[in-house]
Amino acid sequence: MSVLLEAHGLSRSFGGLMAVNAVSFAVEEGEVFGLIGPNGAGKTTLFNLMTGLTPVSGGSFCFRGMPLTGLPPHRIAGLGIGRTFQNIRLFRGLSALENVKISRHSRTVTGLLGGIFGSKRSRQEEKGVEEKAWEILRLVGLADRGMELAANFSYGEQRRLEIARALALDPAVLLLDEPAAGMNAAEKHNLTAFIREVRELYKLTVVLIEHHVPLVMGLCDRIAVLNFGELIAVGSPEEVQKNPAVIEAYLGAE
Amino acid sequence: MEDFLQNYGFLLVTLVQQSLLAMSMYFPLTAGQLSLASPGFYSLGGYIAAVMATADYFAPWRDALGWMMFPLEWLIAALASALLALLVGIPALRLRGIYLALATIAFVEILRVLCLNLEITGGAIGIFGVPQLFESRWGYIWTFGPLLVITLIFSSRLERSRVGRAFKAIREDELAAGAMGVNPTYYKVLAFVIGAVLAGIVGSMSAPFLNTWNARQGTFDASISYLAYVLIGGGRSLWGPMLGAVLLASLPELLRPLKDARLIINGVVLVIASIYLPQGIVGALRRLKLVTLDRFAVLWGGQ
Amino acid sequence: MDAVQFLQNFLNGISIGSVYAIFALGYTLVFSILGIINFAHGAVFTLGAYLTYSMAVGQFGIGGLLAGLQLPFQFSFTLSLLIGAIISGLAGVLVERIAFRPLRSRGADPLLALVSSLGVALVTVNIIQYLVGSENYSFPSDVYGDIKPAFMFHIGSRIVAIRTVQIIIFAVSMLVLALLGYFINFTRIGKALRAVAENASTASLLGINVDRFILYTFFLSGFLGGMAGSLVGTSFGIAGPYFGVTYGLKGLAVIVMGGLGSVPGAVLGGLVIGLAEAFVPADYSAYKEAVAFAFLFAVLLVRPQGLLGRSQLQKV
Repeated sequence: MSVLLEAHGLSRSFGGLMAVNAVSFAVEEGEVFGLIGPNGAGKTTLFNLMTGLTPVSGGSFCFRGMPLTGLPPHRIAGLGIGRTFQNIRLFRGLSALENVKISRHSRTVTGLLGGIFGSKRSRQEEKGVEEKAWEILRLVGLADRGMELAANFSYGEQRRLEIARALALDPAVLLLDEPAAGMNAAEKHNLTAFIREVRELYKLTVVLIEHHVPLVMGLCDRIAVLNFGELIAVGSPEEVQKNPAVIEAYLGAE
Repeated sequence: MEDFLQNYGFLLVTLVQQSLLAMSMYFPLTAGQLSLASPGFYSLGGYIAAVMATADYFAPWRDALGWMMFPLEWLIAALASALLALLVGIPALRLRGIYLALATIAFVEILRVLCLNLEITGGAIGIFGVPQLFESRWGYIWTFGPLLVITLIFSSRLERSRVGRAFKAIREDELAAGAMGVNPTYYKVLAFVIGAVLAGIVGSMSAPFLNTWNARQGTFDASISYLAYVLIGGGRSLWGPMLGAVLLASLPELLRPLKDARLIINGVVLVIASIYLPQGIVGALRRLKLVTLDRFAVLWGGQ
Repeated sequence: MDAVQFLQNFLNGISIGSVYAIFALGYTLVFSILGIINFAHGAVFTLGAYLTYSMAVGQFGIGGLLAGLQLPFQFSFTLSLLIGAIISGLAGVLVERIAFRPLRSRGADPLLALVSSLGVALVTVNIIQYLVGSENYSFPSDVYGDIKPAFMFHIGSRIVAIRTVQIIIFAVSMLVLALLGYFINFTRIGKALRAVAENASTASLLGINVDRFILYTFFLSGFLGGMAGSLVGTSFGIAGPYFGVTYGLKGLAVIVMGGLGSVPGAVLGGLVIGLAEAFVPADYSAYKEAVAFAFLFAVLLVRPQGLLGRSQLQKV
């Protein structure tokens, strides 16, 4: 198993507050890696650091050995790191299809002139984008409503659409930020199955922030626990469950 | 027919010209950028054409090229606008929302003061006696008209293209667009440059049309007018700006007593449109259509 | 430039800078409370100027619909200034009602409020133009009563002149600033205003009537704007109703430079721009108008949060 995504002493401070404090871990290719911790532990900030949305205050991270620190988000996305957002950031005024098509941007090249004059290559490329987008919409079960505005989908459907959009990036790593939030038990069950399915299908590595502990325990190969911006434990679900520091962090947060 | 053209030719050409200027504000808006910079590029384009058409330095060019001097003016205006837009846009478009609007306001003002004082622009008086391309004002429909058609086609094709998609994504959510692989700065600048080039070309076509050119062509007032066009017509559809321009620019003409109140009307429009019609008329029509279609569907389908 | 010229420029700069500061504070007050820029501020500036002129001179101006219309009264300059500012304050409240409240109640995008306030500004300025024409006005030089028009200081063989009006506007500005500072920091209403600016929802939970305080803010903002307009009008004359729009834009440069929402920033920005304009060499005096905007552009590029503003962190 090779290491796909690695963080070295990654830190982020706001004023004097260390939102993420010297966090180091390595995610192996093909695994489902969970990231848990009480609210405000810095999990989403960690995602933002690794996708270039928030500048790094200290430390570094790399992907397949290539340093990514300091790269802008669109470059990191183009290299194969896709994500969803805790607060769902779909393009609400665009259709589901268009939302998914956007992610094909870094995999295509047609420029302004090509698009205006409609060269053969650009038309073919556009066709490819369209096909791929429908394929992914079918995968998440939203193909029959592809032309509807993203804003009109239900909460659960929007989460699925966001995942679809991230998948369209052809990512090697998928960062999911609380994908099960707001879902009922049945939906959570389907989501777990879905994540397993796409991991198989696209040979993905998945990093998952999630609050619902049973889901995390059941799905993840390994789990990292953050508390107050610091990494307090990394290991298999069983190991982490028994870790006294973890127990205290959760109990202390009650 | 002759009389009609005589009386209304100027107005019709002006409507087309104003539609084009509204479009120049529309392009940055499709990428979510509220830019009030169009008058600056319009002014630049006009000055370039005016200088090239009247300055002694260019006399040999004029003799050699004859009427082809005009397209050359348009080309130079387009290139100059593109260059200036890159210069101004690349730093300025790192700003968001109100900050960008302010930066573009500052740009227009600085340009205006420069034009008021430089020798080459004729100072406060400006440049007079710009040679005509056509005999009558109505003739200019043959420059502005095709330009408008080309712009509309361009805009339509842009909307459906990969670049247009990138614009839309940035407009919806710049951050998420970046996270999905779209380079926001590149496309924001591109949208800005497109708008600037259009404004510049329109300016260079307008100098002969209006016969004189001065710093009053590129003012903050003008950007408010274009903003009003886009707001009332709708900033989400390529037909919106044109609709708004035709409506607002013709109103003072059609209702003679309101002529002096043109600016007041613009102001009132801005207030009413921003409160009651944020999506503009086209947007309102769209919503209406949805409602009507729904009703029809019930009538037809609900057997 | 030698020491005398420097001194002269400095005095000129401080004088005009202090007026810019008052004007900019009007923007700052609204920005702190609502987080948006009130583009109609330049309009109340204009209104104040024309009102003060009319009352001090006893008649409306020489153009427009009300040309030459005599007023049944004529007040001293001080009183005219005060009344003009008060009426401008009320105008500010009207602006809030027309341009901002409907949008607030719809939860609309703040950029729309910008546009609607712009619309109101346009309407106001043009109505003024319709009523009193667009000629240049100068306040008559005897409007201040018996005070000398200028004070001369001899330094060596050279003369440094301070126009009375410059002293007046500087003094008035400082007085207003001091009163404002006292008001905001030491009175109950002022503290409530700060609370609303800090966090409107919390403030309302604490029993503060947010809507009423927004009204107070707009009144204060209009008062300041109108006063600034009157002071500028008396100092430089009124160059037609649109001069308010130009100053309105300049005011934006001031607050961006100082940092949006920062009260000391507005003062600092005003003084800096005032001084910068004053030190423009005589040969380039035509470019004075561009100074403020050049600063605006430069600040936006280098340090958008301004000199004293806090940098905006975006929540992802």
